[in-house]
Amino acid sequence: MSTGDFAFSDTDQAIVRELRANGRATNQQIADKLGLTATTVSSRIRRMEELNQLRVVAVADFAALGFDMLLRVAVHVVGRPASAVAQDMSRIPEVFAAHLVTGRHDIDLLVALRDFRALNDLLKEELGKIEGVTKLTPTIVLDVIKYKFDVAPIHGSKQ
Amino acid sequence: MNDSGALDDLDRALIESLGVDARVSNRRIAQALGVTEGTVRGRIKRMQDEGIIAFTAITGLELAQKTRLSFIGVNALPARQREVANAIAQMAEINAVLLCFGEFDILAICLFDELSELVTITSERIVGMEGVLQVEPAIAIDTIKYNTGFARITEIQPSSNRVDQT
Repeated sequence: MSTGDFAFSDTDQAIVRELRANGRATNQQIADKLGLTATTVSSRIRRMEELNQLRVVAVADFAALGFDMLLRVAVHVVGRPASAVAQDMSRIPEVFAAHLVTGRHDIDLLVALRDFRALNDLLKEELGKIEGVTKLTPTIVLDVIKYKFDVAPIHGSKQ
Repeated sequence: MNDSGALDDLDRALIESLGVDARVSNRRIAQALGVTEGTVRGRIKRMQDEGIIAFTAITGLELAQKTRLSFIGVNALPARQREVANAIAQMAEINAVLLCFGEFDILAICLFDELSELVTITSERIVGMEGVLQVEPAIAIDTIKYNTGFARITEIQPSSNRVDQT
């Protein structure tokens, strides 16, 4: 979804800064700090949420959720629109990001798995059986050096 | 890293609820889950302290004024890979750096606005690092899915991020 001509004001940015510092601050607390009314804070937050430009959420660690293995899987597609293949793949819960990309692959997936055994089910039974997939190229993540999660393409985050 | 006690069903229910919307009060969560407000507050604090969850305001690409996303694959000499990954992680434009085994040795996720920024990052800065053999950026042309509910929490959030509402 496009944000069209909607411009984010300094007030919006200030509210976002407060939410980054404390995502669970009440509207009144944010309003007091910024010299606004709680109604304004509430409506600004709602508007940014509706434009898919803001989510205030708890982010849980992969490992804490039992995902011990991260993979990047590059996908080649023939004979079917890559977007349709990516839509099918996005329905698999272990696939937490799916992007259509330029370059030598068609789709770039980020996948979280519980263990090594889950790899067979995912690659051979699930992803490999989707129509149009001709090649899957996995890359195993050995270590996460950096993972900043406060900016994301939210429009693709709907469950 | 987070083996300090397994999560029970209540923890998972809290993560699920807060992962969708963290601006719901402890009281409403407590009512929905049939537990006391104090229990909700205590569980959330424990999970924050242990680095299991972190609260954040996630902004979209337009609001961040970085409207495009690129996956940059890097190959580097084996002996230099961690060093190169650490150097890439220092760059503000780079959101994530993964040390890998497979097609690429390092995978970096980059946010940018103008194509010229990506060219500078890949063709000048990363290529110029010692030990780098090849840099291959792929530009995301559409996001089909991006689950913001989980990530690698690499540091415990500052105390200002704690829940302090009643």
